[in-house]
Amino acid sequence: MDSSNTVEATVDAPLVDRDLAYAIEQFLYREARLLDGERYEEWLELMAEDIHYWMPGIQARYRADKVAKISLSRMAYFDDDLDYLRKRVERARQTTAWAEDPPTRHFHMVTNIEVQPTERPNEWTVHSLVFNLRHRNEAEQLELTARRRDLIRQEATGVLKIARRFIQLQQTVLQAKNINTFL
Amino acid sequence: MSFSHPQSRQTEDADALRGLVDPKQGWLDRSIFWDPAIYAVELERIFARSWIFVAHDTQVPNVGDFLTTYVGEDAVIVSRARDNKVHVFINSCSHRGNRVCFAEAGTARRFTCNFHGWSYGLDGALSGVTAEHLYKNNPTFDRKKLGLHKARVESYGGMHFANFDPDAPSLADYLGDFRWYLDIILDNDEGGIEFIDGNIKSRLKCNWKFPAENFIGDAYHATWTHSSALLALFGKVPEMHADRSYQVNANGHGWEFGTDFVGNAATLCEPEIVDYLRESEAMFQERLGKTRSRMVGSLSSATVFPNLSFLAGHNTFRTWNPKGPTETELHTWVFLNRNAPDALKEKYRRGVMLTFSPAGVFEMDDGENFEHCTASNAGVVTRRRKLHTGLGLGSEIDHPELKGHVHQNQINEANHRAFYQRWVDLMTAPIWADVPAR
Repeated sequence: MDSSNTVEATVDAPLVDRDLAYAIEQFLYREARLLDGERYEEWLELMAEDIHYWMPGIQARYRADKVAKISLSRMAYFDDDLDYLRKRVERARQTTAWAEDPPTRHFHMVTNIEVQPTERPNEWTVHSLVFNLRHRNEAEQLELTARRRDLIRQEATGVLKIARRFIQLQQTVLQAKNINTFL
Repeated sequence: MSFSHPQSRQTEDADALRGLVDPKQGWLDRSIFWDPAIYAVELERIFARSWIFVAHDTQVPNVGDFLTTYVGEDAVIVSRARDNKVHVFINSCSHRGNRVCFAEAGTARRFTCNFHGWSYGLDGALSGVTAEHLYKNNPTFDRKKLGLHKARVESYGGMHFANFDPDAPSLADYLGDFRWYLDIILDNDEGGIEFIDGNIKSRLKCNWKFPAENFIGDAYHATWTHSSALLALFGKVPEMHADRSYQVNANGHGWEFGTDFVGNAATLCEPEIVDYLRESEAMFQERLGKTRSRMVGSLSSATVFPNLSFLAGHNTFRTWNPKGPTETELHTWVFLNRNAPDALKEKYRRGVMLTFSPAGVFEMDDGENFEHCTASNAGVVTRRRKLHTGLGLGSEIDHPELKGHVHQNQINEANHRAFYQRWVDLMTAPIWADVPAR
């Protein structure tokens, strides 16, 4: 999404089948629980081989400014393929990953799920909101809110996979020392 | 500890401040990371008097381009005016003090205050006043004196620095011998460097000096703090060689480095970057000589006093902006040689993101350290014991080529001590003329 309006415009997409919407909702809720439980290897299994997992930095620019507020060529928090995602998981798995021990208590809330058809019968654009809390050590409570747009694909085996994930963090200045989680 | 107003410059304050750090033996009083009174003196005597990095030339390439940032806690606008020069001025209206620019970057013809509509040119001069006739014959209203408070701006290798002290030395003198080292980054190619668009900003609940001292000289932490990232990416931690590595410093600026040429660059996990450096080695040698050419991408880190840090090879600059004694706003940029192939831009951008950004596998574990080093000093008893920063005492050597103070072995705290020497010099000097060259 390279326009200066960072909230997805399409609001008149036809409704998808209720069973499909239910299946995708359940898929995203289960994904959130895998992340809460730091079950990262199982989480990686939900990614398609060609996953693009993108959390760009967002800029506070004036409305009249024609320069995109989000752009692929700008710095990002995540701009990952599967290999990069695996590297991040690999780090978290080391016994010397000090920022993970004692473990962070993760909380991923997913809501406002909207499923929209695409031109392909086995792929859907899925909008959602994520509210994430990370509790660490004695009193740390770090809050992240994000607007997500996924491309969810049903593979030939019938399994759902995440093929694209665009995560629009709502903070221009990240109010946290790190992002030791996935959204 | 309490101090009289910093500008009153009393000698008893200076004595108290002098007692906080012992750069010769390597002892630091923990209150310098916690005490609001000491922090207030830092804003006055360090940030309001030092050359603070505000922008690279390529961030504001055209007339009207601007960005907003900070000098200490002072919000500033950095703007390229019609004279094609970069100007820096306080982002606060001369009338009621409101912020006059809320965008973090953009292009403008003027900056107009939302409160009463006073507007300022790209050079900060007051250019328009709503219903100006109301001020006719007003004895204290003088347009010329009501522009935005301007900083001195000087640049080195395209890096623009601002300074609010008219008595400060030139940027060239302030950097001193460290310019010779900065050339390794800024001048290893005749095209110089450019900054990649955008920057990542984040807040850490730590005193600004912890990350600044970390980058100036803490090779010691690299293989321990970052063991998880190194194991994940390479399956092992790299070796540092005492006999082939150094810490150098001048005027409180410092660089710890190995002479391995590509050690930092290799951790970006983008082999094309290492290939590019190896292919360019002859050019680096020709421009910089053999010794400095080995530092273009080596295992290293550096800080320009007080709060600009960088990693050669990783190609990231960052500033540590104070937001109170226990909070810091980190601004991170990626840079590369302007003449490097376009495809490399993408490699550096992604490589820095994976390693040295808030979600990066290296940086992840740094913030945790900086925050807890700061928070522990809430304890009054905790603050009674000083911190030991004495690694590498007596390691200074004479080197036929390297400039400034040279210490053998990058695993050392010589640069920490030089940083705090400069810190206490500035904190205790009433005027710049009293600050010794170091």
